[in-house]
Amino acid sequence: MTTQVQSSSGASISITGLLTRGSTQFGLLIILSVLWTVFASLSPGFLSTFNLNSLGRSVAVDVVVGFAQMVVLATGGMNLSVGAIGVCSVMLAGYFLQVLGLPIPLAIAGTLAFGGVLGWLNGIAITKTGVNSFVVTLATASLFSGGMLILSHGVPLNGLPSEIGAFGKATVGPVPALAVVALAIGGLLYILFAHSVLGRQILSVGANSRAAEMSGIPVSRVIVFVHVLSGVLAAAAALMLTARLGAAMPAVAGDDWLLPSFLAPVIGGTSLAGGAASVIGTILGALLVSTIRSGLLILQFASFWLQFFLGVFLLAAILLQRYRSVLSAREQTRQA
Amino acid sequence: MSLALQSITKSFPGVRALNDASLTLVGGEIHALMGENGAGKSTLIKIITGVHRADSGTLKLEDRDLVFSSPRDAIAAGIAVVHQERNLIPHFSVAENILLERLPTRNGLVDFARAHSETRQHLAKVGLNIDPATEVRRLSVAQMQMVEIAKALSHRASVLLLDEPTASLTEAEAETLFRLVRQLREAGTAILFVSHKLEEVLSLCDRVTVLRDGETTLMAAPVVGMTRGNLIEAMIGRSERPVVPRKRGPQLDQPRLQTQALTTSYGHKAVDFTLHRGEILGLYGLVGAGRTELARALLGQGKIRSGQVLVDGAAVRVRSVRDAIKRLRIGYVSEDRKYEGVILDHPIRSNIAITVWDSIARTLGLLTRNDEIALAAPLAVRLEIRAPNLEQRVGNLSGGNQQKVSLAKWLAADVDILIIDEPTVGIDIKAKSYIHELINELADRGMAILLISSDMPEMVAMADRILVMHEFALIDEFVNDRRYETASTKIMDAIHSVTAGSVG
Amino acid sequence: MKPVTFLLREQWSGILLAVVLGIVALSIANPTFNTEFNWFVLLRSICVVALAAFSQMIMLGVGQMNLSVGALGGLVAILVGGLMDAWGVPAIPAASIAVLVGGGAGLLNGWLTVRTGINGFVVTLATASAFTGINLGLTRAVPFYHLPADFVAFGNGRIGAFPLLMIVPIIVTALLAIFLNRTVKGRHLLAVGGNSNAAELSGISVSRTIMLAHCLSGLIAAIAGVLAVAQLGSAQPTIGSDWLIISFAAPIIGGASLSGGSVSITGTVVAVVLIGLIQNAMVLLAVDPYWVTFLLGSLILAAVWINRIRTVRMERAQ
Repeated sequence: MTTQVQSSSGASISITGLLTRGSTQFGLLIILSVLWTVFASLSPGFLSTFNLNSLGRSVAVDVVVGFAQMVVLATGGMNLSVGAIGVCSVMLAGYFLQVLGLPIPLAIAGTLAFGGVLGWLNGIAITKTGVNSFVVTLATASLFSGGMLILSHGVPLNGLPSEIGAFGKATVGPVPALAVVALAIGGLLYILFAHSVLGRQILSVGANSRAAEMSGIPVSRVIVFVHVLSGVLAAAAALMLTARLGAAMPAVAGDDWLLPSFLAPVIGGTSLAGGAASVIGTILGALLVSTIRSGLLILQFASFWLQFFLGVFLLAAILLQRYRSVLSAREQTRQA
Repeated sequence: MSLALQSITKSFPGVRALNDASLTLVGGEIHALMGENGAGKSTLIKIITGVHRADSGTLKLEDRDLVFSSPRDAIAAGIAVVHQERNLIPHFSVAENILLERLPTRNGLVDFARAHSETRQHLAKVGLNIDPATEVRRLSVAQMQMVEIAKALSHRASVLLLDEPTASLTEAEAETLFRLVRQLREAGTAILFVSHKLEEVLSLCDRVTVLRDGETTLMAAPVVGMTRGNLIEAMIGRSERPVVPRKRGPQLDQPRLQTQALTTSYGHKAVDFTLHRGEILGLYGLVGAGRTELARALLGQGKIRSGQVLVDGAAVRVRSVRDAIKRLRIGYVSEDRKYEGVILDHPIRSNIAITVWDSIARTLGLLTRNDEIALAAPLAVRLEIRAPNLEQRVGNLSGGNQQKVSLAKWLAADVDILIIDEPTVGIDIKAKSYIHELINELADRGMAILLISSDMPEMVAMADRILVMHEFALIDEFVNDRRYETASTKIMDAIHSVTAGSVG
Repeated sequence: MKPVTFLLREQWSGILLAVVLGIVALSIANPTFNTEFNWFVLLRSICVVALAAFSQMIMLGVGQMNLSVGALGGLVAILVGGLMDAWGVPAIPAASIAVLVGGGAGLLNGWLTVRTGINGFVVTLATASAFTGINLGLTRAVPFYHLPADFVAFGNGRIGAFPLLMIVPIIVTALLAIFLNRTVKGRHLLAVGGNSNAAELSGISVSRTIMLAHCLSGLIAAIAGVLAVAQLGSAQPTIGSDWLIISFAAPIIGGASLSGGSVSITGTVVAVVLIGLIQNAMVLLAVDPYWVTFLLGSLILAAVWINRIRTVRMERAQ
């Protein structure tokens, strides 16, 4: 019954050590590389320009959707209205471009601003009423999408300026333009979280909002900010989706965004409890999901089973993360 | 009947809570368990009640070796406990809470009539006269505790563990409790009475075990013939701390922080005090006296009903903690170091810089790791924070180093007034004296410090003047002559005079 | 306690008032409302919703959530349809098997949540995806149409305005009420939701209780799935796809506490009726159906806000 308590001396090289010390993102990178090698060897079409471009475009949208959720997860909350804001943004963009005939930059700015306003409403509702973000955004999701669909009847708009669709198909060198946009957004978010006051405030609120408050952080303001940011990012994803489809189709966003918005950040290492956010992880997570989807499609796997595999895979990824944190806590106890 | 714990060792990530500690309970005895916060009391209790398993050591009930893998095992073995924090189901009735795991049934369904009548009997034992169907969340805090005590008693356990039971009880309720406890003793129950109130222990208990820094310093010593001094010595290592010399005295012509007839939503009544530049003003009180709440009121949390707060002679209204820090330059070293004083999961550098991020930022609010390190490194050196580097997660540091980080962020914020709440709880001796020297140095440099502490030797050694608080009112104020016998007696007399004829 | 005091105290009294007012208003606004057939349609539409709501309500009661309510129900729906259509299994055995599978799926959710310690939100998000995936994989998006006549008759049958289908939710409601209010296991379930720490310390096994709750949630969602097939007369792969929001909305509007441990069966039922009434009104008044979604969101917010004010007021009174 007595256990030996070991004192910590030098770090020992062990599988346990590697598993707990290697970062989530590094592990993802390895899994990705393995998957790509496997898929490429099983089907050369996987690495074709066509497939890679198509992959790049869908990943781009998924990544930004993941970012929209990630920024809220960082504070320990969640935003279930990401899809609804997406729907509203798609319709508004279509309205601006086709019905009002606004110049494209103006339409884009207006849509992003609108997304921000919807996010602001979420943030205010949460901080002013003290109700948790799950329920508030559950309600606003219905409110926003219902409201927008009442106004627009969900009719897709196909008569958008051709530049939109062209941008969706454009490439910058070998890389799709949409992917560049996604990476640029990722870059900005990375700077926010790693190198700015606001980013640190966000992570503090998520890690321990009491301690943050007692250290002078304006907690309510920070929470409202992340929801505004989440709304803007959801709107951005909606714009990217519109470009990719070449038309404003609200049905494609909405509930379809719920799972991916969580999948990418959570697989990538962003915790539901808050306090940590990984931009690179979210990108890799989205890439992983899209890779599996694309790979299975190329291999002509029963495409209807795709959804099943995604769900199983998400579980496996989280299980692995959970296992790692349990191991690491055990390591620390041993060293005490 | 006997419960014996031998050579218990228990560690958690980053800290060893118990180191070869022992405790022996015997039936028909009221046994006190004492120790400062952080001494290991709650960990030992959690092992007895089956919440944790010891890493090594033995637990024997009636000479049988036992291992508890869950609270259920402890309950089954006849150990009942009333915890410090409330453990009731808020929407359930009193009856359901007391009989939760043994609800009476009739034909497979819960027999509420029988539950209520059984509960009335249990409630009568603790003198609580309420309808068993009352929802627990509608009760007062004191009533809730009595319900929990009734629940523990209803188990007819052979071992009853009471953890700080009188914390939210009035004198009369405490008296009722003591009468009960004595009855149980006559009936042969082994009672473990965890308390930090010296007077209670001396008047109620038969034996006492004291923990310090995870080890047993006094083992089942008879209380008869023991003095307060004996107990304090066992808890802190010596009865008096050598006086830490100050280089400068308080500048009594420069009041920094004042309150006038302050009445708060917490329950404070007409609190008056003045804190001067370069002064260490001690605020002593037992747990629950209202000291931390006063600090919170000064920081803008909790409403001020009447009276004024003045900073540098001018009346102010504190809008928020942020406002207190940025505008009024008041800082607060939290009593709850782990969950409010620091952010355990974040690195040292950001924990120290958190109060001044906006000040050290470059354009557009950008800030790099190096900016934080540039700020934090000199402070870490000055405070002798022991860590391999500033990227270290604060949760991995020892309690003393965590407290240094918590202090460092206020030094970074360059505050003029610092409220320090229980600075050395659960910290090793060396770090303790270091922090005391630091506080002196800060006062010497002109900082106005309000030192909240329930550690008598610390209070006597550090404070220039001492305020005594009891039940949310200031009951005494005097200049500290820094002599332990006189100062500690003055404090205890003040408390006794307002609680006359209560305990024993 | 006087009836009036009782009503004022209950959280769902406001919604009940809304329901009564709504019925009165609708009867005036559109004479078709008060016909036997319309009442039949209305009552039938709330059968499935009520069960989906109960499925989530149990989870809220234990302090957890189940995002796979719709996916699970949908999977059971195509399972029962497939058993009857493709394998020719008669109605009652098929339904029984399907419901049991639902219970098993719920148990899987519970087991994963408890054993791995992963947040129930994420676990059920993932299993929802898996269940939907199996659904798609088995059906390839093609519904099962050839169902036994007696099964379809049950779904369409009525006595006056009273749908035969409604027998099921009525029985489930009664059983659930007895379970949560009068059985030890049910009380323990709510205890875990109210304060899982206190429950554990009292000797209740929190993990087993959570698994039981998940299992029951799965069973009820499964029954909802079977009913949906009966109602539609075919097993559509899209069954359950719109259950998620309503499964939360009804218990919350009905007064469930978000922290767990306090749910109201009556409140949930009244909320389901209200939602059904709104949907019915939309059709009768030829109003844009998207108004339902919009109103739903507003109702949730209003309900939660009122709940919050109540709680704050009570804390202040202490």
